This record gives sequence, structure tokens and C-alpha cells, in this order.
Amino acid sequence: MVRFLFRRLLVAIPTLLLVVTVAFFMMRAAPGNPFETSRKLPPAIEKNMMAKYGLDRPLGQQYLTYLADVARGDFGPSMKYQDKSVLQIVREGFPTSLTIGLSALILASALGMTLGVVAALRQNEPADYAVSAVAILGVCIPTFVTAPLLVLLFGLKLGWLPTGGLAGPESLILPVTVLALPQVAVISRLTRAGMIEVLRSNYIRTARAKGLPEHEIVFRHALRAAILPLVSYLGPACAGLITGSLVIEKIFNLPGLGKNFVVSALQRDYTVVMGVVILYATLIIALNLLADVVYALLDPRVRLA
Amino acid sequence: MRIRLAALVVAALVGLGGCKPHGAVRAPCPAGERCLEIGNVTEPVSLDPPKTSGVWEDRILGDMFMGLTQNGPDGLPRPGMAQSWDVTPDGLVWTFHLRPAVWSDGVPVTAGDFVFSLRRLMDPKTASQYGYLLYFIRNAEAVNAGRAPLSALGVEAVDARTLRVTLTHPVPYLPQVTMHQTFYPQPEHVVRKWGDAWSDPAHFVSNGAFVLKRWAFGDRVTVVKNPRYYDAGKVCIDQIDYYATGDAIAAERRVRRGELDINDDIQSNRVAFLRRPDQIPAYVHTHPYLGVEYLAFNTHDVPAFKDRRVRVALSMAIDRAFITGKLLRSGQVPAYGFAPPYTADYTPPPPPVWAAWPIERRQAAARALLAQAGYGPGHALRIELKHRDPPDSALMAPAIQADWKSVGVQTDLVQEDSQIAYQDFRLRDFQVADGSWIADFNDAMSFLGLQQSQTGAQNYGDYANPVYDALLAKADLEPDARARAAYLARAEQIMIADAPVAPIYFYVTKDLVNPRVTGWVDNAVDLHRSRYLCVKGAAGSAR
Repeated sequence: MVRFLFRRLLVAIPTLLLVVTVAFFMMRAAPGNPFETSRKLPPAIEKNMMAKYGLDRPLGQQYLTYLADVARGDFGPSMKYQDKSVLQIVREGFPTSLTIGLSALILASALGMTLGVVAALRQNEPADYAVSAVAILGVCIPTFVTAPLLVLLFGLKLGWLPTGGLAGPESLILPVTVLALPQVAVISRLTRAGMIEVLRSNYIRTARAKGLPEHEIVFRHALRAAILPLVSYLGPACAGLITGSLVIEKIFNLPGLGKNFVVSALQRDYTVVMGVVILYATLIIALNLLADVVYALLDPRVRLA
Repeated sequence: MRIRLAALVVAALVGLGGCKPHGAVRAPCPAGERCLEIGNVTEPVSLDPPKTSGVWEDRILGDMFMGLTQNGPDGLPRPGMAQSWDVTPDGLVWTFHLRPAVWSDGVPVTAGDFVFSLRRLMDPKTASQYGYLLYFIRNAEAVNAGRAPLSALGVEAVDARTLRVTLTHPVPYLPQVTMHQTFYPQPEHVVRKWGDAWSDPAHFVSNGAFVLKRWAFGDRVTVVKNPRYYDAGKVCIDQIDYYATGDAIAAERRVRRGELDINDDIQSNRVAFLRRPDQIPAYVHTHPYLGVEYLAFNTHDVPAFKDRRVRVALSMAIDRAFITGKLLRSGQVPAYGFAPPYTADYTPPPPPVWAAWPIERRQAAARALLAQAGYGPGHALRIELKHRDPPDSALMAPAIQADWKSVGVQTDLVQEDSQIAYQDFRLRDFQVADGSWIADFNDAMSFLGLQQSQTGAQNYGDYANPVYDALLAKADLEPDARARAAYLARAEQIMIADAPVAPIYFYVTKDLVNPRVTGWVDNAVDLHRSRYLCVKGAAGSAR
């Protein structure tokens, strides 16, 4: 197990380096620079700005300097938001994205797994079809449609919940729900499929023959094996959720990290884009690793070595 | 199982239903205080004045800093830190007499602070984007390019309360510029102590009506009343939150719910709807704005556009009234000139005669002009219109395409991300460009300078007319405001007749303002300083 972890962490380093390199050069290949506006800057001013951020040096040299800085934990200043460093921007945005993402993940897992189990136990009965219908709707309707509709209903017509901003826990209800809905759909489908397969297996038949109570069969023996595909799905999904969602943050006006990702790419804020890419890549790697570990804990057949 | 699930669903519904309809979720306001929640479109890039260039930053900075002059409620300049000023007859040396005032930490504001701030603005190390606006100060350009020491800049503190500014040419509109964000003073004693970190809320010091309290990135900037402001007795608001409300529709919902008092933008095609009696007509404010939307013709690379008749014909054929009245519908004004008619100290030249003709007659004349230039049914002109991606540009482009089709011109539309489009325009990688220009200061020169041949990259149409250049140069050297305005108007008339650009419409300001906010005056620069605003109702009743 320790050797497995060590090896995976060792592989993570070249992976990260590759991601950083590709992102660095793709960003620089995009037309424009962080100081482009509708105004043309006089050459003297443009020169001052480029010099201040080292953009006047050869690209290769910029890349090596950047790598050296990152290795020392220095992600540099934002090129657009001059009062803030990349770390500050990530530190200020991440807690909001983390709260919303994790809440959505927990809500989606609880709801999705419950629905999936119900659907599997009532296979081809009305309850199963109902869950399938909900799941297909959840996957098909994009968040930028569900969000305004829920805001219209609960925010404007009923007036129960705030329509946006971050003021108190009630302002989290709508964004978390909207973010969770498509995940509920995916999770319930995965759970249902896993459950159906497992419920037909020999050891469940044995358990039934032994006369174990139904809840023990379902929750202790079947579910544990049935959620294995779910675990592999949740690793990367979790990384995606907790790094924030542009759509949710824009519609609900939340100060999360997702907006920064897109906005900083559009504004060519090189250092912020790089910082967010590195964070995202690290999370994906870490959570995939975690998924593998959980997998081994759940399934005695899997040996990590 | 079924029972348990049903119980869960019921519990969830009861839980949700248990949320009683409550009022707006406003940011908490301390008891007994008056708070204002303002939607300010986008995140400030910095709160250190020389590092900013956006009007959204100035909305915050202008509440915290006071330049030599300041915006009145109507947006026009009035004495600020300078109680009065004298100008030498040649218009080159301005002496400002400062009022006794202190920074929010109690230290007096001096002429030395202004000298320090202007040198800091021009210091190449500061890398200010907007420094070029003050290149009319003596030696400013050389200092900014690093060719002259900071001390060479034409600003000096005669004594603690007298500031002398020396210019390279007369700038009769200087009081318009001295209220601009490039002219805000910074506290020398604080900047020297903390360096670039001085604008951190922990160290921040200002001389205006409000002072920075908190900046939660991506969420809001909070400022509170500065009790040491010289006119603090007249300031009604105690605390302001500015939110980055990039999505105008989401902001509109928050204004409706009372979560925001003001939002500085409305999506154009919502204005007419919101003005309906069953909507929120009393909230909607529009006013002519100092900006122009125009098309530029690439006379450098497109042979057809080297012919003046083609450019005039294309300009003539555009049905501007349809674009403003039927598409944008929020009070934009059709433009036949380049500087808006409400520009300060300016009387624009009469529009071209065809402006008053019905569109059918204009299009017939346009076809005739194109025929003279050799384009007609047998030899149709085919061009590409490259436009930016904001909703208004995307609405306008197909209308222009249709107008040109009716005079026999085939137009291909290419839409691009604004930033990339502007870069293409500068590199002349376009045939027809949809440009947009918002004035830096309220003066015709801020518009007409764009078509000067020396403007270079931003003179998208590469207009170069020695007569036009000479008239603008003459205006620059003319200390008398009226004579200067006449030169500018003559120049504009010549330029419009040459049609290197086709102006489409003048912008409007679009603000949503809760009627409980008092003191709001619509104005052409769309700046509404919070020190003039108040809210109806008892203090602390903002919730």
C-alpha cells in the first residue's frame, strides 16, 4: 500500500509538469496579452507593463523562470488584478467553491444512491421508471436552464430564497441544488446498474438462502459492491465540483473559483490561469488516487501494489 | 422502504416550505446606519489609483478620493481639493490653491502629495496604463518612457497648499481631467511606508468621503464614511458595498428584490420591458452618454474603400433610426457625427444633408454613388464586417448587412471576442470594423483625436488628412475655448464628409435605481458620487 502510494505520487510529478507546460504554451499562443484593452497603449506604456511582468523576455526563459517560481511555491502576482497575488485569489475563491461543491456532492450522493437503490429493487416497476425519468431529465436539462427556472420559482414568485449573492446559509440552497441535480441523475443511474448486477450474483443468492434480513442484504452486502463504479466516477467529479462552476457562480453571483478560471483565460491573465490549472490538475490526481484507495478498501479482490 | 422514502420527501418539502417568505437578503447594516448596496458591473483590477483604468474602478475610487476638482451630482467639475485656481494668459501654467484638509489618518493633505502622486503615475516602474492621458504635462512623456528623471515632470509644490502644473500646450479642459482617477492624490507618508501594499485595506488611507474597509475578491468592496472628510457633515450614507455584477439580468433580479439599491447597467433589450407600468418603470434611468458606436473602413488594404464615394454610400445606406428605435430600444441616439452633441463646450457641425432624407431616398443616392464608383448589378461589391461580441453589436451587425444588401452590397459577418477584435482592428486585419469609443474626459478632443493621422493603430480607418490634422493642432494651441471649439467643429465636418468612419449611434447610460435612493442625477459621464446620495426612511431600516 505504501509502495503503491509512493509510486503514484512519483508519477504525479511528470504528469503535473506536462500539464503546466502544455497550459503555459497554449496560453501564450492565444492572441492578445493581459494588457490589451479597447484602448491602444502608447509604446512607452506597453513597454513599462511588459517589463514589470517579465513578458519582454524570450518565451523559453519566461517558462523556466515560471517553473522555478512555482517550485518555490511562488505563483506570482495576477497580471490583471494588480493588488492580488494568484495565491490570494485562489485562497479567497476556493472556500466558497469548496463549500458549494462539497454540499452538492453530499446531497447528490445521498439522493442519487437512495434513488438508485430504490430503482434497482423495484426494477421495471413504476418507481424504477420514475427514477429513470428524473435521471434523464437531470442529465438533459443544463444548469443554465434549471438555475433561472428555480430562481424564478423560489426566488421571485414564492420569495422563499435569495436570488443571488452570498449572505447566509439560505443563499446556498439554490446553487447547491442546481449543481447537484445532474449529479443525482448520474449517481442514481450508476447505483441502479451496479445494484442490479450485484443482486443477481451468487453471494447475494447465498445470503438470501441463509435467510438474512433484506435490509442487511441490501445495505451490507450488495451496496458495498454496487457502488464501486460510482467511486471511480466520484473522484474526478469531485475535483470538478469543488473547483467551482462558471455557470452557477455567474447566475447566482457567487465569489467562487470557477469564474476566475474562465474570466482569467479570456483576459489572458496568464499567472491566474496557470495557478488554477495547477490546482485543478493536483486535485484530479489526488482524488483519483483517493478513489483507488477507497476502491481497494471496499473490494477485497483489489490489491494495491 | 416506500414509507421511509415518502417520509423523506415529505420532510424535505416541509423543510423547504418552512422557509417563510422573507424580505431581501441584504448585507448586514450596523444599527442606526444608512447602507447602500451598489451593483458595479465588474471587479476592480486594483484600488491603487494609478494602476486602474476602468470606470468601474473610478466609481469606487471617486467615493474615496478627491482630486483637485470633483464631479458634482450632474457629473460636471466643481472645486475639490483645489478651492480655486489661476491660469497664465498663454494657458500653460496652472496654479491650484488647496483647501485645508486631512487624510483619513489625520495627516494633512499637501501639494507635495499631488506632486508625489503624479510622479508615481509617470514613473515607468509603476507601469500605469492610463498615464498617457496626462502627457500634456511638461516632460510627462519623457519621464514615462524613462528618458528623464521624475523630478523633470512639470508639477511642483510652491508651498504646502499651492500646486503648480506646467503644460506643453494649453488644455482649457484641464478641470475636466483633474477630477479623473489619474489625478487622485495618494498619501505620500503611507505609500513610502508600505510600498505597493499601501492599498491593502489594513493600510489604506484616503482623502474623500469614504475609506476602504474590506475587499472580498469576487464578491464585494466595502467602504465606510470617513469622519475626517472636510465635508463629512453633508454625507448621509455610512457604508457602501460595491458588487461585481457581471450578469445584468441577475443584477436586475437582485435590484427587484431590494438586495441591491443600484445597478450600473441594464441589458439594452430589457429597458423597454422594465419601463412597462406593471414592471419597475420608476427604477429605470437612461441618459445620453459620452460614447459613440461606429464603423471604420480599412482604407489601407481594401481598394474599394480608397474611394470616398463608396464609404459615403455605405454610411448613407445604414438605417440608424431602425437600429436605435427597433433593435436597441433604450434611448440610443442615431449618430451622423463623431462627438456627441452634448459634449461640454462644443457645438457640433450640422449633420450631412442626407441625414434628414427618408431611408429610401438615401439608399437610392447610395446606389447612384456606388454605380459612379463602378459597383453595380454586374460588379457587386463584396465586403466583410468584423464585429465584437457584446449583445448590442451582435444585434446591430445583421441590420447593417441587410441595409447594405438593399444597395447591392454583399456583406459577410464575422463575430469575434471583443479583445481579439480590437487587436485585429489595430493590426488592420479587417475590412469593416465595428468600433466603440467612450470619452476619457468630457471634451470633443477625446473623440476627434482618434482620427488624427498621428494616432496610429487606433485610427482604424487610417484617416490622414493634413487639413484635419492642422485644425486639431491649431485647436490644441488655442487658449480661447470658443475659438478652439470652432476649430474642432470645422475639423469634424471635414472628417465626416470624408467618411473614414460611419458613426452609428451615441450611447446612453442605463442604470437601475431603487426610488428610495435620493439625490441621484442622471448625467452624461454616468458618475454618481455616493456623497450626494441618501436613502429614504429611518437610519438602520435598510433591512
